[in-house]
Amino acid sequence: MKLGPKAAAAAILVSAGLALTACGGAAGGTGTAAAKTTTLTLGAVSEIRSWDPAQAHVGHALQPYQAAYDSLLLRQPDGKLSPMLATEWKYNDANTKLTVDLRTDVTFSDGAKFDAEAAKANLDHFKKANGPQMAQLTAVSDVAVVDADTIELNLTTPDPSLEFYLSQAAGLMGSPKALGTEAIKTEPVGSGPYVMDKAATVKDSQSVFTARKDYWNKDLQKFQKVTFKTLIDLTARTNALVSGQIDATLLDPKTGKQAEGAKMKLVATEVDWQGLLLLDRDGTKNPALANVKVRQAINYAFDRKTIVEQVLLGQGTPTSQPFGKASGAWTEELENYYSYDPAKAKALLKEAGYETGVVLDIPSVPGWETQLAVIKQQLADVGITVNIGAAITNTFTSDVAAQKFTTMFFSLFQGEPWVATNQIISTKALYNPFKNTTPELQAKIDAVEKGGKDAGKLAQEVNKYVVEQAWFAPMFRVNQMYYHNAKVTVEPQVQQAVPSIYNYSPAK
Amino acid sequence: MITFILKRLGSGLVVLFAVSILVFSLLYVSSGSIARNILGDQATPDQLAVKEAELGLDQPIITRYFSWLAGALQGDLGTSWFTSEPVAHALATRIPVTMTMVIAAMLLISIIATLIGVAAAVKRGWVDRVVQIGAIIGDSVPGFVIGIILVTILAIQMGLFPATSTISPGVGADAWVLSLTLPVIALLINGVTGGAQQIRSAVIKQLERDYVRTLRSRGIGEREVLFKHVLRSAAPAGLTVLSLQLIGMLGGVVIIEQIFALPGMGPLAVAATSQSDQPVVMGVVMYTVAVVIVVNLIVDLLNGWLNPKVRAS
Repeated sequence: MKLGPKAAAAAILVSAGLALTACGGAAGGTGTAAAKTTTLTLGAVSEIRSWDPAQAHVGHALQPYQAAYDSLLLRQPDGKLSPMLATEWKYNDANTKLTVDLRTDVTFSDGAKFDAEAAKANLDHFKKANGPQMAQLTAVSDVAVVDADTIELNLTTPDPSLEFYLSQAAGLMGSPKALGTEAIKTEPVGSGPYVMDKAATVKDSQSVFTARKDYWNKDLQKFQKVTFKTLIDLTARTNALVSGQIDATLLDPKTGKQAEGAKMKLVATEVDWQGLLLLDRDGTKNPALANVKVRQAINYAFDRKTIVEQVLLGQGTPTSQPFGKASGAWTEELENYYSYDPAKAKALLKEAGYETGVVLDIPSVPGWETQLAVIKQQLADVGITVNIGAAITNTFTSDVAAQKFTTMFFSLFQGEPWVATNQIISTKALYNPFKNTTPELQAKIDAVEKGGKDAGKLAQEVNKYVVEQAWFAPMFRVNQMYYHNAKVTVEPQVQQAVPSIYNYSPAK
Repeated sequence: MITFILKRLGSGLVVLFAVSILVFSLLYVSSGSIARNILGDQATPDQLAVKEAELGLDQPIITRYFSWLAGALQGDLGTSWFTSEPVAHALATRIPVTMTMVIAAMLLISIIATLIGVAAAVKRGWVDRVVQIGAIIGDSVPGFVIGIILVTILAIQMGLFPATSTISPGVGADAWVLSLTLPVIALLINGVTGGAQQIRSAVIKQLERDYVRTLRSRGIGEREVLFKHVLRSAAPAGLTVLSLQLIGMLGGVVIIEQIFALPGMGPLAVAATSQSDQPVVMGVVMYTVAVVIVVNLIVDLLNGWLNPKVRAS
């Protein structure tokens, strides 16, 4: 007898059937573990590069570090700073010395004691460890130990963001015994609410943490086990969430629809703004951009509301200002400063003597093809030509710094006013590559720097100046769409796409 | 035979060396941005200079290449610029995941494609037509699309499999099997349909040859003709197709691993490439080229073993 196709087909069916039944049984088993609300499993959008606290990052990359490390200050969900490892902190009158009182009842997971020496060791380490956020302590010249539970941070110049930084990467405190060792890169040693389960942790797959016994602040420790599952791919995150493998993760407007179909709940926060950066305001390479009327005309050319509806599926807010709502620099009057008015745009171009002939070269960055197509079309409607050129992602920031782009479309974080100023406006800012400034603007920036507690309010003047002078053509603030299931409740964190670890609790 | 193997290994080393120079030069183009990418937006020029010196980026490319080569020859592939993980360790933890998947898929492809291909060639008629149509469909749908469809139906709607990997230390073999089933199916469908098609043609070609008629006329059973003579002669064609599929799979598996969040070579390769993490990219490329060389060598040896005619030539 020949081995016919029937026999072959039967063999395949039998083996497939065996595989399916075996799988069915075990899959049921994995489902029940997640049902307990003492565990929290989060879909992380990136992998931690190093667990050395000095290598910690901002935004959505900060969360995992918060599991292992306490910070000096705690940033509340609304952005207010409150005590954590620091009990009190106070500036001198010139805002050049910050005195910080510390808790005395905290130990690290390796048994080392947290005190002023430990805090100094961390800040010194952060300053020289070349981490991605090392700029946070640039203004700090030295750290002095006053007594066992007090330190002083001496500043070369006032830095209105310093307290905020002490709630971020720069404020994370690791065991002084572990700082600088190879081991801390793969296994964090902090005083935080959770300790890493090294055996269950796999690079590029998951980091597992268990509740630390005798943690000093039980209010911040709400789960027995916290797992960060690395899910870089958006489809993988969506699938993991709707199938119940994870409790919460960051999605986007399109995948959000799928999550909503599976009854997931949305926590939306506005974190970034997107729009054009009209970088060459002195007209070094593109003379038209030196004319404020041209820059204003560009702003009037956009129908922001329709763009939000169609490109972002409504998940954003049209705006004319680069500063964020929670920054203190945001004002109502600037929100719709440039309404959609193509006739006015044309009139301004005519007044400027540029009825025709304005050409903008904009580099294309993967992911924003739709936005760029809309920009090209809307600017064409008022007589401005847009050439979209290729950009190399790997060298993008260097190319920006090297003045390769006179105009660019980008998505930028809307942080604290001083952070934002040094990101996009001051002459030190990476996104001000042509170092544009005026004495008037510089005076306003200096006022913010020395403004201490009033920095936010003073930054309103900076905001107003750059909006009126049309340094940018902001389009909208984008909703970050964070979804979670019914097993947990999640409180949004201002200026963070991914909430702080303290904002999760088991659903009642 | 030994001279043959040595010769092939020697030419493999030349290829490795040439590829390493090529890739190293290509990565050099984007290395100007590395320090900035590591240190972030607000790093000062001084900080950037310190970082560049630390990574040796201030050295000329020739010096950098030879220091990499010297390390690689001693088994030291360097350390990731971004994660500080030794490259050899990164490869050692990821290769098992990827290779488990690739080898499982290849074994299944060999068996299933041969069965289907032979069945189509021998039976012809409707069986053949089904195989032909299946080949067209299988070839035209990319593996990752199959993967997404499988996840949606079998994992999300029916809950039979985990939607993304649950592989971690301490989990039993069942978690491995469950986590790898869908990715392996997504990987093998193209291979099965393509392989079956090639094996079908090869078998048909052999069945039409004179020696088959002679064998049959001597009263040798149909099964013996098929398995002892025809399949042996058709094997070289099948093996070549399978080896090409394995090599192609090394690329396809990258996307499959992203969709299923498997901690294999895929995420490592994607992250390293997008960041220009030179030591890791070099490690990944060298590994891939080495696999290709070894696979080709094995296929040649198998062909020689199966078919004396090949050995003689």
